[in-house]
Amino acid sequence: MKALEVDGIDVFYRDVQAVWDVSFDVEPGEIVTLVGANGAGKTTALRTIAGLLKPRRGTIRFQGEDVTGMPPFKLVERGLVMVPEARQLWPQMTVRENLELGAYGKEARKQRNETLGVVLQMFPILEKRSHQNAGTLSGGEQQMCAIGRGLMAGPKLLMLDEPSLGLAPMLVRQVFAALKEINARGVTVLLVEQNVNQALALANRGFVLETGHLTLSGQTRALRSDPRVKEKFLGEAAL
Amino acid sequence: MQKFVIVALNSLLAAGLYATMSYGLAVIYGVMRIINLAHAGLMMLAAYATWALNDRFGLDPFLSMIIVAPAFFVLGMALYATLIRWLPRSAAGPSMQSLLLLFGVWLVLQNLAYAIWGGDTQSILTPYTMESVPFLGGRLGVPQILVFVVSILSLVGLNLVLRRTYLGKAIRAVTQNRDAAMLSGVNAGQIAAVAFGIGTAFAAMAGSMLSTLYAFTPDFGRSFLLKAFCIIVLGGMESFTGVALGALVLAFIENFASAYTSIPVSYQDAISFTLLVVVLVAAPGGLPGLWRMLDRRVVAR
Ligand SMILES: Nc1ncnc2c1ncn2[C@@H]1O[C@H](COP(=O)(O)OP(=O)(O)O)[C@@H](O)[C@H]1O
Ligand SMILES: [Mg+2]
Repeated sequence: MKALEVDGIDVFYRDVQAVWDVSFDVEPGEIVTLVGANGAGKTTALRTIAGLLKPRRGTIRFQGEDVTGMPPFKLVERGLVMVPEARQLWPQMTVRENLELGAYGKEARKQRNETLGVVLQMFPILEKRSHQNAGTLSGGEQQMCAIGRGLMAGPKLLMLDEPSLGLAPMLVRQVFAALKEINARGVTVLLVEQNVNQALALANRGFVLETGHLTLSGQTRALRSDPRVKEKFLGEAAL
Repeated sequence: MQKFVIVALNSLLAAGLYATMSYGLAVIYGVMRIINLAHAGLMMLAAYATWALNDRFGLDPFLSMIIVAPAFFVLGMALYATLIRWLPRSAAGPSMQSLLLLFGVWLVLQNLAYAIWGGDTQSILTPYTMESVPFLGGRLGVPQILVFVVSILSLVGLNLVLRRTYLGKAIRAVTQNRDAAMLSGVNAGQIAAVAFGIGTAFAAMAGSMLSTLYAFTPDFGRSFLLKAFCIIVLGGMESFTGVALGALVLAFIENFASAYTSIPVSYQDAISFTLLVVVLVAAPGGLPGLWRMLDRRVVAR
């Protein structure tokens, strides 16, 4: 059984179509990355899978169950969790409150203290910042808090929208290392990135999204040496 | 000096009630980004409910809040479930549809009150209505003191719920970032229903307390809605301390204006309206916005 199957989704903002007939899948235990330039429709696709947007056509299956159009809170309960673009913490709440509220669902709440221990062990800086308002954190700390909050929900599949956005290279490495560790603990990862080079280095398989259409897919090893990928993304990244 | 202290104390007492009346609006605005125009009608309805309980069963107006507030909480949830939830969502601010709908609800409540109780002026008389206690050579009214105490208790209670309970935290989370709350498993529709219930219950508590201070008709509440607008615009809509500060500022300005100038008390509405316009033009972010701006200037230097 696949962890996630996205089958032919079309997504619109009113009359404007942003995602066209997109299909891809994620196997349990994998790290899969969805890469593409700014405005390609990555966020739209992810928000649709998470239940914040409804596709006009197509289906989304999570662990074999059709979850198309299901509200986000039901998806979170099932273990489909998204860490949104640009962190989106609750700025007037403490880091601790942000994390604890990540475990809002019934099941997650029972495991709250154990999960919190794991998260703080993974990101020790959050322990230090625990009584600070999230709005006062630096960009890297905010990203760790956002990922930590996502983990608190007890995800089976964790989807992350550009976690490297706006971070210094050293912090990007740190965040990607954390993703690797999270995956090693048994969480399937769907990573959306513009940082194509590093995303492809981390993931097992990749999909390329261009202006709302999926154009390339395959093992990341093959994609990294694909001339079309090199020309479109890696040439720029090498500058 | 003595007059100054008494006027200041009366301002403080009034501010408690003003804050209670404004938090109802602020909680609803925070969660749903709509302005509850029916707030005034709900205050009026609660005043009549309090009056009816007093008239029929001799129930003290402050004690009757134990019944009135929960009843209005349920009424608020029912309003949400039947009407409010169908409104289109707009992240930017109150939509035209929401304003029209809630204005309509206000009109319905008003006419309902006319149909049931008629247009005569009602008031509640208790043994302490006319009582006052001497204080620093002046006098403070007993109802005013009771209203202040109950207001503070209700605000402390609300603050505890918002800070300590999962439900309260979820309300704050939706207020601060709705998408993030939904992505953490919060059922935003359920939270909106609860927030509308809380807002309605606070309108009701304000209405019950107002009925111990003023006479009322089915038109009652309009000027208090205006004051509440002024306060949440001053307070910056979303912060708890901001609203408290806004309530204090308005109460002080009103009381000092009537004590130290020749502006008649009947012009109090004009004061809140003028203040509302001045704030909207000069400092649209309210006091918190002004504070941030000054803060930035100091940092820049
Ligand atoms: N809220 C919105 N309303 C209307 N159009 C939007 C909205 N969000 C994104 N879009 C449009 O949809 C397309 C895809 O955007 P997005 O999914 O954010 O891309 P990416 O995440 O890959 O940068 C873009 O053309 C963008 O302008
Ligand atoms: Mg994006």
